[in-house]
Amino acid sequence: MPVLRFDGVSKTYAGPHNALSDISFTVNAGEMLFVTGHSGAGKSTLLKLIHLSERATRGTVLVNDKNLAKVRGRQVALHRRQVGVVHQDHHLLMDRSVFDNVALPLLIEGVPSKEIGKRVRLTLEKVSLASKEKTRPSELSSGEQQRIGIARALIAQPLLLLADEPTGNLDPSLAAEIMGLLASLSAQGSSVIIASHDLALVKRMRKRVLVLSQGKLMDDIAPEELAP
Amino acid sequence: MSTMRTNNSSFGARLGAWRDQHVYSLLSSLGRIVSKPFSTLMIVGVMAIAMALPLALGMVLWNVQRVSGTVQAAREMSVFLKPEVTLEQAKVLAKKLEQRGDVEKVTVISPDEGLAEFRKLSDLAQSVDLLGSNPLPSVLKIRPKDDGMALATALQQWPQADVVQHDGQWRQRLNAWLSLGERMLKILSILFGIGVLLVVGNTVRLDIGTRREEIAVMQQLGATDGFIRRPFLYLGFWYGLAAGALALGLSLFAGLALDERLRPLLASYDSRFALHGPDLMMVLALLASSAILGWMGAWLASGHHLRQTRPTDL
Repeated sequence: MPVLRFDGVSKTYAGPHNALSDISFTVNAGEMLFVTGHSGAGKSTLLKLIHLSERATRGTVLVNDKNLAKVRGRQVALHRRQVGVVHQDHHLLMDRSVFDNVALPLLIEGVPSKEIGKRVRLTLEKVSLASKEKTRPSELSSGEQQRIGIARALIAQPLLLLADEPTGNLDPSLAAEIMGLLASLSAQGSSVIIASHDLALVKRMRKRVLVLSQGKLMDDIAPEELAP
Repeated sequence: MSTMRTNNSSFGARLGAWRDQHVYSLLSSLGRIVSKPFSTLMIVGVMAIAMALPLALGMVLWNVQRVSGTVQAAREMSVFLKPEVTLEQAKVLAKKLEQRGDVEKVTVISPDEGLAEFRKLSDLAQSVDLLGSNPLPSVLKIRPKDDGMALATALQQWPQADVVQHDGQWRQRLNAWLSLGERMLKILSILFGIGVLLVVGNTVRLDIGTRREEIAVMQQLGATDGFIRRPFLYLGFWYGLAAGALALGLSLFAGLALDERLRPLLASYDSRFALHGPDLMMVLALLASSAILGWMGAWLASGHHLRQTRPTDL
């Protein structure tokens, strides 16, 4: 069952600059896929349209059969709670502890504090950061910071997880570890969309790949079509 | 999914979570204030002085109103009759006066009663004895039903009346001054209230500036405007409350300092008047209004930031 559907979606910025042109694809529940392409291909714009940081100029974006063009005002915030985001530069609150960073989505959602404590500790165990819950992110390595970002995205058990170059600054072994975490989330039922220009990593994961170039969808490669 | 879980959770649990969020914002904003004592003191000091000025004027007016209230209550007038009017004639005049619709009560004070009272109140009593006879006239003490202005005018036309002592005009002037003072108090309160609003607004705006990234992260995670705004509202609340308390303290201190000099001065006029500070209700009203002002300033500043950071098509 599709969780995400792009139907003839275009995004044009002032200039005019066509960031995306007539993109159509669907993503099923629990599916993990990569969006790849050179810089400026439109990967980040595509993720922004799903997260509602931007709106499509033409076409329809449906998340769980809801047309995002009709999501307005307070509904935008509620939509974003269903969509986890992992950034290359983490976007963590450096003056808060690891615990507080990971707890933030639950605090926003209004989850009772007792439940927050349980779920944060469980999630920190999953990303091997249970012993660091009181530490500030600035005291941790880049890989650990990325794991905090993933834990923060995981904890709300989102319908969709968007990761924009999540392994950009990491060495190959850490990158593989992060990918493993994202894959485990997909196995739990969340759909995971990863924007990456690291073709080697993409090939290694053997997942579906959308190839973008100059805002156009050039190819939609199934996992079995990828060369080993 | 977690969203569904939250929607399915009981009303009590959601209410508890909502309370937790408010307690968290309340305490964390207090923590932010306490962690920067010097800048907090500067901000609260400016706000407190802005509040203390109209508060001090209000206290002065309140005290003057108390005095004028006593004056208003003592609205009796005295008619000093001419020396040739006898006590019997004075009593007849009193009966005639009591039949008027605007007169509540008339008391006749004979020359002997007047002299006895004079002896009690004045050191000049012995001098009066030197005169040999009582020089005081009969006096009619009249309590009018209204302000007594028309009655006083009528009494002044009486051939038997020598002097009509009535403070109506003086009271009218005092009322006019008090009314002017009240208007000034309102204007000053509005102006300084706006000042407080702007100080809090600017302080919260600066605080938002230092937390811009944090706000952006929260927006990305699906925080509503209300959630983002809440800690800043509590910040404004604390600033307002602290400034109100300090303004109260400053005004009371100023009142005490004035009272120390005022008491001996008034005692020399045989007055027992003493400055009174605000009562409990006034204190609570001041603290509540200053906290609300702080809250409003924070609301304006945070609302402005949220409007600016929201993409126009969202």
